[in-house]
Amino acid sequence: MKCLKDRLISGLLLLLSLALCFFSTQKFREQHKKETLFPSEGLASREMLSSYFPGLIDTPGDTEVYIYGGQNPGGNILILGGAHPNEPAGYVTAVILIENIQVSQGKIIVIPRANNSGFTHSEPQEGNLRGYSLETPGGKRFFRFGSRLTNPIHQWPDPTLYINPSGQKLSGQESRNLNRCYPGKPKGHLTEKIAFAIMEIIKKEKIDLAIDLHEAAPEYPVVNAIVFHENSAELASYSLMELQQIGFEFRLELSPNNLRGLSHREWGDHAQVMAILLETANPSQGRLKGKSSLSLIIEGKDRNYSKAAKFGLLFVPFDSEGIPVKLRVARHLAAIKILLSSFNELNPEKRIEVNHMPSSSQVKLKGIGQFLCPPYRK
Amino acid sequence: MIKNIFKILFLLAFFIFTVSAREKKETALPVFEQPLLITSAGQGAEVYLASVLAKRAGLNSSLSKIAAPKDMKNIKTLVLVLGASLKGLGSAGLDKAKEKERINLLVAEAQKKNIPILCLHLGGEARRGKLSDEFITFFLPFAKMAIVVKSGNKDRLLSRICEERNIPWKEVEKAADALKPFKEAFK
Repeated sequence: MKCLKDRLISGLLLLLSLALCFFSTQKFREQHKKETLFPSEGLASREMLSSYFPGLIDTPGDTEVYIYGGQNPGGNILILGGAHPNEPAGYVTAVILIENIQVSQGKIIVIPRANNSGFTHSEPQEGNLRGYSLETPGGKRFFRFGSRLTNPIHQWPDPTLYINPSGQKLSGQESRNLNRCYPGKPKGHLTEKIAFAIMEIIKKEKIDLAIDLHEAAPEYPVVNAIVFHENSAELASYSLMELQQIGFEFRLELSPNNLRGLSHREWGDHAQVMAILLETANPSQGRLKGKSSLSLIIEGKDRNYSKAAKFGLLFVPFDSEGIPVKLRVARHLAAIKILLSSFNELNPEKRIEVNHMPSSSQVKLKGIGQFLCPPYRK
Repeated sequence: MIKNIFKILFLLAFFIFTVSAREKKETALPVFEQPLLITSAGQGAEVYLASVLAKRAGLNSSLSKIAAPKDMKNIKTLVLVLGASLKGLGSAGLDKAKEKERINLLVAEAQKKNIPILCLHLGGEARRGKLSDEFITFFLPFAKMAIVVKSGNKDRLLSRICEERNIPWKEVEKAADALKPFKEAFK
């Protein structure tokens, strides 16, 4: 009798464990689902990154490439979001472009999830949310909040010391940081292959200007910044002055030539493209942040950061109002718009004409969701 | 009637006096000559902004982030763009001491050749702090004139240095606004 009872309890515990495993696996697998994007009518074609480098076929590094324009010759622009999936403003800005723009002259290529693998997990011990919802006129849209690094399930183990394709020595986990792996390697590990594929796009599509959208912690010195390769110094300087005129303060930072593997350095060196990286201030990725919450991601509010600002420890102003994601997206949109107009001024023979790009003031006023498609659109 | 004529003459004389005094004050600003050499004092990226401003102003300028005395041949104005960047220093293969030494040599050469120095601080608040302030306090006193962006002078460090040494200075709201005084400073 006792034996039967023990068996029954063991069986129940086993069933309970299996049920727990099943449900947690479902949650885990949900992280691998891509949220649907709804490109605007201006979309000329949608490719996969692997079409530029077949080495990515059937890998978690393969990702969508959205191409706009191309009918009338002009400048060719690449805009990269999601190189670091824990920097929501970069990703959301790319999505807003995809869902709104039309290009009447030149070509714009947008890669919203540059490190697709990084969107499939979150950083251990950070307590980050799986994602966040943005309210659109037709309902909520969910977006993944991922990790700065490639998922270790897709690239493992990390070396003790990582020597990147440009010869820079870095800590081992940086081997999974897309923005340390340029110009990539065709036979390297997954992140190096992604970097190589992006270099292939730049070369094959004859990109003139490439913009990498990022965010940085408010305590990091290179924040609210335009980081530029020296071959885009004039473009960056023109743009900074124009941005100041419309009320956006940016700092100008030259890409260091002794810090290798970053987009703003290697895109310029290896493909002679004008390379720009934009940084906004994101408290949800900072070391001083308090509890991870939706408010931290969306509203950018954090008491610890407000205190840190009072002690003069931050490189951006920060108060109880926080730095909401809509303001950060507005900064990115303003910078892209000004970079494109400055590009036109400096390269009149390679003009780029973009229509229906939401303005920064509209995004600040109405919020991000007003410029995203509702979730049910086919 | 005569009283009124005297009144009018007095007002006219007063008007002429104030206008000429104002003009005198304006012409008291140093006038720099071209060509100019633009270099950084601290390796901040605003040196590129200065170069764009010079281009927009139609000035005959050359840019060298790591200019040396040999680059000052045929140069009639030295433009020092104040503001330090650790990344910039590292990228140029310099540290604080080496950068100061480089600027010291340039300043010495400028003094030897009687080349005036125009200092610009264009980075605003972002280009202030301990390291930048060292370059500002060290090299601004050598300027014949300075143009500074307002947000970088909230604590009046730059204006105080200028006023203590009778260095004419102009404060502008934004970097782009520096174009006008920069252009006007040259013949």
